[in-house]
Amino acid sequence: MDWRWDFTFDVVLPKMWEAAGVTVWATLASFALALVGGLILMLLKTHRSKWVSRPATEVIEVIRATPLLVQIFFLFFLLPEIGITLPPLTTGILAIGLYNSALCAEVYRAGFQAVPKGQWEACIALNMSTYRTFKDVIIPQSLPPIVPALGNYLVAIFKETPLLSFVAVAEIMQVSKLIGAEYYRFTEAITIAGLFFLVMSLIAAFLIRIVENYVKRSILH
Amino acid sequence: MTHPMIQFDKVLKAYGALKVLEDLDFSVDKGEVVSIIGPSGSGKTTVLRVLMTLEPIQGGTMYVDGEPLNRMNVDGQLVDASKAHISRIRSKLGMVFQNFNLFPHMTALQNCIESPIYTQGKSKAEATDEAMRLLDMVGLADKAGHYPSQLSGGQQQRVAIARTLAMHPEVLLFDEPTSALDPEMVGEVLQVIRDLANSGNYTILLVTHQMGFAREVSDRVCFFDGGKMVEQGRPDDLFGNPQNQRLQQFLSKVLEAG
Amino acid sequence: MNRIAIVSALIAFLVGLTAATFSELRIFLPAILKGAVVTVQVSVLSIILFLFLSLIAGISRSRGNTAIRWIATIYIEVFRGTSLLVILFWMFFVMPEFGLTLSPLAAAVLAFGLNYGAYGAEVVRGAIGAVDKGQTEATIALNMSPYRRMTRIILPQAIAITIPGLSNLTIELIKGTALVSAVTLVDITYAAVQQNQLHYRTVEIFLITVMLYYCLAQFVRFGGEALEEYFTRHLNKRV
Repeated sequence: MDWRWDFTFDVVLPKMWEAAGVTVWATLASFALALVGGLILMLLKTHRSKWVSRPATEVIEVIRATPLLVQIFFLFFLLPEIGITLPPLTTGILAIGLYNSALCAEVYRAGFQAVPKGQWEACIALNMSTYRTFKDVIIPQSLPPIVPALGNYLVAIFKETPLLSFVAVAEIMQVSKLIGAEYYRFTEAITIAGLFFLVMSLIAAFLIRIVENYVKRSILH
Repeated sequence: MTHPMIQFDKVLKAYGALKVLEDLDFSVDKGEVVSIIGPSGSGKTTVLRVLMTLEPIQGGTMYVDGEPLNRMNVDGQLVDASKAHISRIRSKLGMVFQNFNLFPHMTALQNCIESPIYTQGKSKAEATDEAMRLLDMVGLADKAGHYPSQLSGGQQQRVAIARTLAMHPEVLLFDEPTSALDPEMVGEVLQVIRDLANSGNYTILLVTHQMGFAREVSDRVCFFDGGKMVEQGRPDDLFGNPQNQRLQQFLSKVLEAG
Repeated sequence: MNRIAIVSALIAFLVGLTAATFSELRIFLPAILKGAVVTVQVSVLSIILFLFLSLIAGISRSRGNTAIRWIATIYIEVFRGTSLLVILFWMFFVMPEFGLTLSPLAAAVLAFGLNYGAYGAEVVRGAIGAVDKGQTEATIALNMSPYRRMTRIILPQAIAITIPGLSNLTIELIKGTALVSAVTLVDITYAAVQQNQLHYRTVEIFLITVMLYYCLAQFVRFGGEALEEYFTRHLNKRV
């Protein structure tokens, strides 16, 4: 094997550094979308009316059954056809956010269902408003299972961002491919891309554990 | 020649600072039936579990039939026993658990022939003959093809006893064998144990809450409290004329409740 | 419940197929079905490797000696920590540097098998831990060897527990194969992209794509449920 350090430092790392910014931005934006989208889908799915909950359930199922890459391509082709032109990065963020909304919806639902039924009944018996019920009783109790699960999705989204290279977004994977194509050297760039994901994932897993413990301690005592 | 079948020599079992068994000296003669009674947390089940090597001990030596179990003799010195040594000595012991621990993916018969075939190297035909004889002995020959989930608790425990006997142990350890059973099934299991005790073929150590049964089948009863053997004696003496105050309290509580 | 889902999915697929035969959909359907063959091919081979690695690494991490446990842990953490696409590229573009030039199919199968095997290993490890402790104690009391204990007593019970988790991962793996166009294979997804660039029928083409993946997923789910029923058939039944 032949690894060239000068090439690594002079060419690969500077380009990758810029690309890392794109990856991180795509991750955070998609995650924010997924958090909000998941909440909306969860509320629709648990809606009283069958006419709302049934379609929401089906939409979630179809999104979950379809590869993320197919959804990225679908939005990438469909949006221009219906007259919406967006940069590929934005389209990709939309697709990743939507895909993970369907997954986060399940996390929220499981979290709320984990709160014992007696807690809801106690709130009714105490004549609390819906707002108070959620804010003071239900949400605090459902956070311990929800927070670590959402943290895991943040890491999953981070690892999904390389799919954006399929629509030519200049994130880490795309840039390392371009470096490879330009200099006919793939080893350094792709290995560094791999290490980047590995190190970030390990750090994230460590942080999630800290947050998880903090939430458990501060809410459930 | 006249060594005890089971001997505990200054055995210490501790979880961190908590001593579950403290310097236990205790022995059982060949063919003797000994019951161990005591409040929960007294260490009585631990006696069986450390002897069966389910849990390590922190000090002392256990002997089976005169040979050390957790130690072995190398050039005249006792060292920590190898796995092969433990396995060889352990083959003289058999244990019946509170929760039966039958293998749920095997029929009653398969439960009884598994270890004889694969551990002792018996032929399948030989192991099956033997297992059927034992299942017949515990009154379950007609249930040989049933899975544990298709049997009542009492039936499962009787299969577990047959499974243990199939290994030809010399010592039988019963760990609260009727505690997990519905009341109407206790009798059938006790009857099997009674027959085994009366046969004189086995050395038996029985941990139980069934005071009447312990008094009936035992040659000797031991009362454990706080990790120590506090009092032991012939059943009539121990139950009829308890000396230790803790034993008196324990018996009055148990007899009141039961 | 799921049986209804799979039947309705198949009916929908057949209706779609019929409609396709009698309309202009027939122009691009053959190409996409050809892609489906590649997807199935990559999936089946990857699933075999994935299941094998899950079992080996899962057992190693829960029962091996210290060295074996470390190797298993490093494998699991490294392949769970990196991104699937990066592993795929690495197999295809960097492995030749080590003197091992892989065909696109081999690179894809290795990447998917290794990546999902790391997740599967955790499922297997959890299942082994979930088998009742009393089972191990009974094997000790019966003087069984550790090897017999694992193969005859623990694993047969653990496998039943792993099936829902492994069948979910299998579905994820099939979805994951959508990335194979990165190493020049033309699967369902890439065939759809190519056909779309030729015919500009985004909605129809992607509807078929989604339906194909959905059918594959239902097929796995159905198989998983049947297997689970088979493995647990004696465990919870009362007569």
